[in-house]
Amino acid sequence: MKIGLEIHVQLNTKSKIFCGCSTSTSTEPNTKTCEICSGAPGSKPVLNKEALHQGIKVALALNSKIAKTTFFSRKSYFYPDMTKDFQITQYEIPFASKGKLENINLRRIHLEEDPGALIHKGSTCLIDYNRAGIPLIEIVTEPDFKSPNEVRLFLRKLITILEYLEVYDRKSEATLKADANISTTGEKVEIKNITGLKEIESALDYEARLQEKTPASKQETKRWDPDNQKTQTMRTKESEDDYGYIFEPDLTKIELSKELVSLLKKEIPELSLDKMSRLESEYKLKKEDAEVLSSEKKLAEIFEKVAEKIDPELAAKWLIRDLRKILNYSKLTFKDITLEVKHVIELLDLFQNNKINDKTTKDLLIKLTQESFSPKEYVKKHHLELDSSNLEKFCEEVIKENKKAVEDYKSGNEKSINFLTGMVMRKAKGTANPKEVEKILKELIK
Amino acid sequence: MIIQHYLKDVKEKNISITKTIKSILREAKTLNKKHNCFNIITEDLALEQAEEQEKSPSGRLAGLPISIKDCICVKNVESRAGSKILKDYEPTFNATVIQKLVDEGAIIIGKTSQDEFGFGGFSTNTDNIPKNPFDEKVSCGGSSGGSACFTQLTKNPHASISESTGGSIANPASFCSVSGLTPTYGLVSRYGLIDYANSLDKIGVMTKTTEELFPIFNVIKGHDKKDSTSLNEKPSNDNKVKKIAIIKEAFEINPEIKNQTLANLEDYDVISLPLNKKYSIPTYYIIAMAEASTNLAKYCGLRYGQTLPLQGSFNDFFSEVRSKYFTKEAKRRIILGTFTRMAGFRDAYYLKAMKTRTLLINEYKKAFKKYDVLISPTMPILPPKFSEIDKLSPLEQYQMDTLTVGPNLSGLPHLSVPSGFIGKLPIGTMLTSNHLEEEKIINFGEQIEQRN
Repeated sequence: MKIGLEIHVQLNTKSKIFCGCSTSTSTEPNTKTCEICSGAPGSKPVLNKEALHQGIKVALALNSKIAKTTFFSRKSYFYPDMTKDFQITQYEIPFASKGKLENINLRRIHLEEDPGALIHKGSTCLIDYNRAGIPLIEIVTEPDFKSPNEVRLFLRKLITILEYLEVYDRKSEATLKADANISTTGEKVEIKNITGLKEIESALDYEARLQEKTPASKQETKRWDPDNQKTQTMRTKESEDDYGYIFEPDLTKIELSKELVSLLKKEIPELSLDKMSRLESEYKLKKEDAEVLSSEKKLAEIFEKVAEKIDPELAAKWLIRDLRKILNYSKLTFKDITLEVKHVIELLDLFQNNKINDKTTKDLLIKLTQESFSPKEYVKKHHLELDSSNLEKFCEEVIKENKKAVEDYKSGNEKSINFLTGMVMRKAKGTANPKEVEKILKELIK
Repeated sequence: MIIQHYLKDVKEKNISITKTIKSILREAKTLNKKHNCFNIITEDLALEQAEEQEKSPSGRLAGLPISIKDCICVKNVESRAGSKILKDYEPTFNATVIQKLVDEGAIIIGKTSQDEFGFGGFSTNTDNIPKNPFDEKVSCGGSSGGSACFTQLTKNPHASISESTGGSIANPASFCSVSGLTPTYGLVSRYGLIDYANSLDKIGVMTKTTEELFPIFNVIKGHDKKDSTSLNEKPSNDNKVKKIAIIKEAFEINPEIKNQTLANLEDYDVISLPLNKKYSIPTYYIIAMAEASTNLAKYCGLRYGQTLPLQGSFNDFFSEVRSKYFTKEAKRRIILGTFTRMAGFRDAYYLKAMKTRTLLINEYKKAFKKYDVLISPTMPILPPKFSEIDKLSPLEQYQMDTLTVGPNLSGLPHLSVPSGFIGKLPIGTMLTSNHLEEEKIINFGEQIEQRN
């Protein structure tokens, strides 16, 4: 099986690729448009350098060759989401080519403008041009994937790199789209315009299973129907699409000097793979922990700051086991929360020095993802510090009040001790260390 | 009264702006009935601007009436580039040149008639065909026919902002006996110009006499960050013309035109530009049509301009709107232009033409190493009657651009100056200089003009 991808990624520049309109699409339809992105007669595009620079950084991170000069072309086709009925894209000479991400070769990377969005409502169709002109990069791979699973792993790695470069927002799934070519022993099938990582995986899984049963007998273009999780034939191909490319005469050739490229290279942060091996050796972490921490840039940043003050192993454990779990549970990302590192340090410092117990630490960590406060003051104010002065008294009371459980424990039911510990913890209102409680209980019952 | 004198009088308050504007509006309305030089006369806008300028005249062109070729966007004024498909279309923004002119106090009196999107050399490919000032049965030339026509006819101080892709300023300037300057490509911002062929389009100016070009040219030129192809260089202020040459191939035409053109010249060499003679017409038409066919795609009835009830698939709808509102010539250029860039033909036509264009530019560049100004007649024929134009095939019509496409393809500044009459019809002489050397041709143009 051979799979090749054309991946479209929306860059997150502040303004559109050829005009000054904002790229935020979460507003009223057709309010983030101007004469340029709506294609009014007489308007002309001017390249937003930021889009090109972001693109070059991605290309460098994907080990690509940057062209010395590059230019834009017009790709002509009629479609209602296109304001000019041609798309400004790159054809002959993309700004980057011959890249590689692990075992997958990348043929080319080019810049282009996103069309508007068609919104189907019953029998009518509305058009929102807010999206028209948002910068895209298209990454074209060689047909190097041997299974949908390889695609999945590749895209995850790609997304991590894009996140590290801060050009991609994981939350908005729509910002990653792909066309996929897939062939087994038969002809090539192209699946057009699949949106989001999950759908790309599902579409390829579906088509791979289909073709393993019956290899395609003719070249076909299909569409992915995400509602029914099926591919559908759009057309069988007799010839290539003809877009009648010409050079974009409203834009000039762009020189990509060595100085510019090396300047942009310097702006590239340490990427995930490098970060992973550094975390592993520098903090003596387990490989799996280093991998999880480096899979998200923000997480790794929090970790390194916390590890300056807190035992790295302990920090890693709390950040991976608890913080990530909390976020996953509430479907949040690091970008959505206002977590101040100094508060995490304060909290873990209390725990590390045996001032608060495991449960209090966890509760406060959850609370910290929701609001900003000083754990130290909070613990003080709510009397959550560990306090063993009354522990024996509480234990004696619990033993008196729960005679049956005590008997059960004595007759060999080990679990009863957990129940009794719980009762003591309740009395201590979180100021007790459960291990210590258990120890006292066992001694008293003996 | 020439423009410079009028501007001086305004400055010294010897003349009323409102009175001048009222007079030229009256004149425009009367002339328009007979000559169709305007698609729209912007009376209210002009009077409003005049009143403002009367109160406090400001800017280098304070109070000067100007007409604008229809293809240049004027905010809130119908700008349809001579096309029916853009009827009633009012841009939401001013072209950069318009903004510059208005900021300098110029007063817009109307949009002049033209071939649809600039497609033609006789201003006949449109619904409002301008008629020659010297004979109503004769063409004004094109595509800026309306601009040239009114510039010749008006008795008031006036300049017309026009546009050339392959000769659309020089050609009508010659046919209507006015001065028409096409500046270096990129020297005047194209922002707000409704595109014909972007790599060739140049905004320029027409005035009755050559010396009047200066004040307008000085205002409209200059870098514009809204137009990526806008030049960031200043034109040379060296206006000394030391050596001139006539272009050999350009004089292999009507002997009357040849002789009268040469009669105005002395001390010239003869230079041959064989590549331009052979290849400029096909190169020009391939590039111009390829670009035009993409530029016209956006006119599909969906977002602005004329439309029809939404029926069938979007492809059917687009085709119906475009079939109904484009002229035959626009359709011809869409089809030919699309053909030259189709897979399988693109290498042989579009890409070849792009390469040839470089050779043609180099041929000119070589000539300018030796000469300051190259000279030819502007047009190979006298202004033809409409009845004669009807008999020409499209190819014969395209051949009429043979003398003007060269400098246009090479982005070179060129000027057509009035050079007398043959019978009652005028001829023009075309002067071409190296890039950014507009001052040389304007200076030399004044000399030729004075000999007539």
